[in-house]
Amino acid sequence: MATMAVQAPRTHRSKEIRRHALIYLGLTPFLIIAVFPIFWMLITALKQEPDLYRMDIVPFWFHLPPTWKNFDFLFNRTFYGDWIVNTMAISFWVSVITLFTAVPAGYALARLRLPFAENMGIGIFMTYLVPGIILFLPLARVVSLLDLQDSWWSLVAIYPTFTIPFCTWLLMGFFKTVPFEIEEAAMIDGCGQLGALLRVVLPVSWPGLITSCIFSFTLSMQDFLYSLAFVSVSDQKPVPLGVATELIRGDVYFWGSLMAGALLVGVPVAILYNLFLDKFISGITGAAIK
Amino acid sequence: MAEASAGGGAPPETSLSIALSRRAGVRPWWRTPTARRWVFGYTLLAPAVLYVGLLVGVPFLFSLYLSMSDASVGDPVARFVGIENFKAALESSTFYVALRNTLVFTVGAGILKGLLGTTLAFLLIQQFRGRKIVRALVVIPFTLPIAIAVLGWKWMFDSQFSVLNWALNQLHLIGAYGSPDWPVWLGQPGLALASVMFVNVWRGFPFGAIVLMAGMTSVAPEIIEAAKVDGASFMQRFRMVIVPMIAPILFIGSAFDTVFTLSDLSIVYLLTNGGPDGATEILPTLAYNTGIRGGALGRGAAISLFLFPLLLPAMILLLRTLRRRQY
Repeated sequence: MATMAVQAPRTHRSKEIRRHALIYLGLTPFLIIAVFPIFWMLITALKQEPDLYRMDIVPFWFHLPPTWKNFDFLFNRTFYGDWIVNTMAISFWVSVITLFTAVPAGYALARLRLPFAENMGIGIFMTYLVPGIILFLPLARVVSLLDLQDSWWSLVAIYPTFTIPFCTWLLMGFFKTVPFEIEEAAMIDGCGQLGALLRVVLPVSWPGLITSCIFSFTLSMQDFLYSLAFVSVSDQKPVPLGVATELIRGDVYFWGSLMAGALLVGVPVAILYNLFLDKFISGITGAAIK
Repeated sequence: MAEASAGGGAPPETSLSIALSRRAGVRPWWRTPTARRWVFGYTLLAPAVLYVGLLVGVPFLFSLYLSMSDASVGDPVARFVGIENFKAALESSTFYVALRNTLVFTVGAGILKGLLGTTLAFLLIQQFRGRKIVRALVVIPFTLPIAIAVLGWKWMFDSQFSVLNWALNQLHLIGAYGSPDWPVWLGQPGLALASVMFVNVWRGFPFGAIVLMAGMTSVAPEIIEAAKVDGASFMQRFRMVIVPMIAPILFIGSAFDTVFTLSDLSIVYLLTNGGPDGATEILPTLAYNTGIRGGALGRGAAISLFLFPLLLPAMILLLRTLRRRQY
């Protein structure tokens, strides 16, 4: 390096600057490739139709004034409103089912010193890894057996197959961190085991419970296969499926409203998931850290 | 093991049980606190185990049965046909194309994700200004719902109005629209496979990076210091200390990624649906199109079960890593 700085502090500072510059330089391609699609989807969603199909001008900015027309189209001419309602309802019921099964299971595995607890925990977690692509055909039979085909309730029944394993595992780790003493204190005060769980352990575990609900939501939103296989009626679809299948007529893609519909739900989900991403990572690698 | 401590500490139970045990001399086993705790525990476990058992375990066994039957969507009465479906799959050339594409896709994308993820992880563990925001932005591909992200790419790979082509054309890297030098990403066999792999890599590299970062930050700096004091060179520290310590996390991360990649339908289904001319056909799309669209449930189940031997190594790796952590 050719720089011969006169003063020591300046050398240090220029070194710092160079280090930063190198890091930013290294990160730039990653940032562009990660963020550009979002930018492109956003600008597409806000462009007027003729502005989308021009090859002679710079496509990265507006040449006709931005418009809300695509969003308008979504809400007034498609089932987008229904899809949002369906998505919310599915997430709500999946969260409820997950909480009512994963909380007791996680607690039992973490705290009650059951024989084979660790192995059972791993066993439940492994089911998270049995992929939908192996299960969807037999589950199609289950869905028609339950008479739920073409209704979003089929997804309420199926999504817990991956949220329960994940959240049980997550909550297991979570309950292990709740100090034993507060439970003992409650039991000395006359609570039974169940009373101690309901009145003492659950109230201090609300971050774990909220995390479980968030994952019930974000993991449900990552699904495509099950909704594609089980729901084909327009007004019963969740958002990802609806956007992917209903905004196309033959070969014609309504790109503007496609991108509008995708982003309107995709961005909030991405933000929520982003905030809880560390929990997700420590959830799946949970046993390996420490 | 968990049982070791299970019997320990017969705690002060209710006075009733003490009185009972005094009268009987020996307390019946089902009244002991341990037994009651077990009953309570297994009762709490039951709903989760039943749910998962009924909707994952049973369907899995049912898919074995389906794969050996001639079940179809229209005809609910299935006949046992033995390994006919597997044989039919192995005799069709589409199957081999799909198998080959699946392997190329998984291995190729896996290597790229590993390289990019490692680079990104090493950049992100440095101390620099704006690290948090950079991290939040760079993981967007992974956190965006997959179907939604794929739709964005579908538009960017448009045969005529692709923004990528516009940019490449401005840089004079490709020819004009309509000329043979104008790439139609999803319409040319080689490019189509590369494109679907690219989207998978785009989605997966942030996951690789954050898993790796979680591993790296879990290595206590004191241990590395200690190795340094003992005279270990950088390569030695890396090989003998860092790699063994982050290996379990890496295994878990790559096992997850392999399972996601092998079983993901949405990227290929939405981008090309196996086309053009089977160039991007993978086992999941073949299973879906055979089983649901074609209505041949048995055939479809057999094809999807061919994924299982591919998934097995990843699952065994994961199981062993998780088991080893028991203490």
